[in-house]
Amino acid sequence: MTLKECYDALGGSYDDVMGRLRSEGLVQKFVLKFPSDPSFQLLEDSLAAENWPEAFRGAHTLKGVCQNLSFTALYRSSAALCEALRDGAAPDPALAVQVAADYRRTADAIGVYGSQLPK
Amino acid sequence: MNVYKNKITRFLTTSLILVVLLCICVFSFLALHMGQVSTQTINQVGTLYMSNMSQQLSMHFSTTISLRLDQLSAMVTTTPPDSVLSYDEMCQALSYQAHVRNFEYLALYSPDGNLEMLYGDQLTVTDPPPFLESLNNGEKKVAISTNSAGDKVILLGVSTTYPMADGTPCTALVAGLPVSYISETLSLEENDDEVYSFIIRRDGSFIIRNANAYRNSYFERVRMLYSDVGGKNPETYLTELQQAMDAREDYSSECIIDGDRRHIYLTALPYSEWYLLTTMPYSTMNSIVSGLSRQWGYSALLGGAVLLAALLLVFSQYFKLTRRQLEELDHAWRNADAATKAKSEFLSNMSHDIRTPMNAIVGMTAIATANIDDKDQVQNCLKKITLSSKHLLGLINDVLDMSKIESGKMTLSMDQISLREVMESIVSIVQPQVRIKNQNFQVSIHDISTENVYCDSVRLNQVLLNLLSNAIKFTPDGGSITMALYEDASPKGEDYVRIHLSVTDNGIGMTPEFQAKIFESFAREDNARVHRTEGTGLGMTITKYIVDAMEGTIEVGSELGKGTQFRVTLDLEKAEAAEPEMILPDWNMLVVDDDQLLCESAVASLKSIGIQADWCQNGESAIQKILRRREEHNPYHIILLDWKLPGIDGIETARRIRNTLKSEVPILLISAYDWSEIEEEARAAGINGFISKPLFKSTLYHSLREYAGQDTAAPAEPVQPTDELSGCRVLLAEDNELNWEIARELLQSVGLELDWAENGQLCVEMFQKSAPGYYDAILMDIRMPVMTGYEATRAIRALDRPDAGLPIIAMTADAFAEDVKKSLDAGMNAHIAKPIDLREVILLLKRHLSK
Repeated sequence: MTLKECYDALGGSYDDVMGRLRSEGLVQKFVLKFPSDPSFQLLEDSLAAENWPEAFRGAHTLKGVCQNLSFTALYRSSAALCEALRDGAAPDPALAVQVAADYRRTADAIGVYGSQLPK
Repeated sequence: MNVYKNKITRFLTTSLILVVLLCICVFSFLALHMGQVSTQTINQVGTLYMSNMSQQLSMHFSTTISLRLDQLSAMVTTTPPDSVLSYDEMCQALSYQAHVRNFEYLALYSPDGNLEMLYGDQLTVTDPPPFLESLNNGEKKVAISTNSAGDKVILLGVSTTYPMADGTPCTALVAGLPVSYISETLSLEENDDEVYSFIIRRDGSFIIRNANAYRNSYFERVRMLYSDVGGKNPETYLTELQQAMDAREDYSSECIIDGDRRHIYLTALPYSEWYLLTTMPYSTMNSIVSGLSRQWGYSALLGGAVLLAALLLVFSQYFKLTRRQLEELDHAWRNADAATKAKSEFLSNMSHDIRTPMNAIVGMTAIATANIDDKDQVQNCLKKITLSSKHLLGLINDVLDMSKIESGKMTLSMDQISLREVMESIVSIVQPQVRIKNQNFQVSIHDISTENVYCDSVRLNQVLLNLLSNAIKFTPDGGSITMALYEDASPKGEDYVRIHLSVTDNGIGMTPEFQAKIFESFAREDNARVHRTEGTGLGMTITKYIVDAMEGTIEVGSELGKGTQFRVTLDLEKAEAAEPEMILPDWNMLVVDDDQLLCESAVASLKSIGIQADWCQNGESAIQKILRRREEHNPYHIILLDWKLPGIDGIETARRIRNTLKSEVPILLISAYDWSEIEEEARAAGINGFISKPLFKSTLYHSLREYAGQDTAAPAEPVQPTDELSGCRVLLAEDNELNWEIARELLQSVGLELDWAENGQLCVEMFQKSAPGYYDAILMDIRMPVMTGYEATRAIRALDRPDAGLPIIAMTADAFAEDVKKSLDAGMNAHIAKPIDLREVILLLKRHLSK
């Protein structure tokens, strides 16, 4: 699996990220770090605890990371959830489910991509 | 000239008259001559005919008489004289035989001349001696006699020796026949009036005559009737006739009887002392032959007339031709004269025109020399000298061009040119002049399908410059000038394109008289209005010549006081499609111009290079559109703004976009003018660049290309570390490690040194701990735990440090207008939306660090 195929799998824009970061090595390095990024965990935990402001911060950060890495699919769902949380009210659960699904899809694609790289 | 013309006219007229006279003479002579020849011919034919007829008559007479004489001889043979037994028996036998042979009279002729009638009336021989003498000599003879009633009787005599009543032998047997027998046998009576014959004796007395001749003697008739005989009087004729009779020869002549021309033919008859005289009137033959000769004459006259007519026609044509040639010559001469006059006038004008700047140059040089230490003065002089020199050079160039044209040495060097470049260079050349006169200059371009064509760019430029500088020259301050260009299908075929160029002004215009000769050499409208304007007057001639050489057309339309329009139409060959494929990223763009045509054409051009564009016609709606797009998260990538807009102008609109909307979107200002004067103001208002009208597709492409590659996958060159930013130290507040790493990687690549603060609080602390001036700028995330970016910014701005006002740029995933506003309210300098775009960051840092 190439990095581009990985991007296709997770619903991101390879061309877009290469346009900005310019180096495949760099993109790969950041992509592989994404699963260990704590923002999604923060979002999950805060939603579970119904701590809406923290959940907003988590969604916002996740959105920002996705923008930087051009993870378009996850960016869209996290941005939608982020806007829902902005006013500090309880969000539509469907939005959170969508974010979780997109996150899984992204993390899985990166997992597959990472596992087949030479150690 | 006229003298020459008259000479030729006189010569032509005289020769025409002479030729006509000659023709008349020749044909008259021919007609006359033919008349004479035909008369002679009639004579010859008449003589021939008459002699033949007379011979026939004579032969017929001879045959008839011979026959009768033979009959008489046969009687003698039947009853030989020596066999006569008795006189009575002999008489009986002879009378019987004579009766059988239809002789009306029979007699025995004594040697002394007495006629002893055997039967029939007593006859008296009219002229006995020749008759008797012949018979006595034993010959056969014919003679005339009269009977007792006085009628003429022809006597036929054969020598023989019958005994007479008295017993003496006779000398001949004589038989008589009435004259009518001869005339009937010879058909003399039956002849109509046309041809008739007499038989006469030597003394002129008639043996046989026709009814007309009632006189007894032909001679008497001749004397009475004949007025002229073959040009001789009747007596001479008679003498000749008698001479011919004596010689027994044939004789022919002509005579006029009762005004009628006749031919007379005389021939001697055998066995007698008689003569046959045949007369034939000319009228018969004459009518035939003279008809022929009349025909001849008419033909000759008709031929002459036709020849004359042809001659006249040729002469008249030649005359006309000569006249026309003369007129043309005259015209050419006048033209040449006028051209010479125009040239000498032009020379004198030119000398004056050249002297004026020359005087200025000489004078200014003298002043500069006198004030060599006064720098300002010298500079002023040099400026004026430069101006005058340029003017002088212009004049001389025109004259040189004109002499090239006149000697046919001007040629076109066809090369591939870009209409865009031609138009751009023209616009930039004329802009200073337009601005000096404060004129409104418009460039209108539409329907351009082919930008690259084959043409002589220098000459095309010359044509346009000439038209434009004339328009500028003859349009008062504040007037307006429009240059238009559009394309059309060329009638020369697929490989060609027809371009229409027009230059329109609302200046002083021209009189119709001057329009008629504007393209002539050395013409300059001669009145007070234009005396103030300089020029050789050769410009339009040169222009016209160049357009002609390009096989195009130039037209002028003008009205005095209203303005002028020049229209040039050229069919140019399309150049190979050597232009690189012009494709830009699929940006969203906004075109703002009050000219709808320009907007639509620009949007179409942009679409053809891959860009989606909206357009609107004023600054306010532009701002509305930008805001709406931003809310839709589909912002414009580039904005094209016209400078002159209704309401708020382009610069003000840009200022609002930058200040109110806090947008860093690149803004280009569209201008047909030289923007050097407004550049500073425009840049300060946040305008990134300029784009010059006319907006060709390639103009747009080349101007926009440099903005490509920022946020696209288009092959973009790596961003070079810039010296300006290398070594700058930037504090980056970002709670997310991944985002921090990405930012660090990117920003280190351009030479920035970065420190990381994980939240606002840490950021403020790190800044506080640093030495003043250690950090050059702060990039601040907004949403952070412990302390937000807004709070951190306020805290930093509140610090009592000399560098507390350092540039702080917000970096956030939010791009809403209120976020931007909040950032600015908190004291930040600018706002960048994530994802982090290196170019944008560098651009902003550069701008804020340089302040």
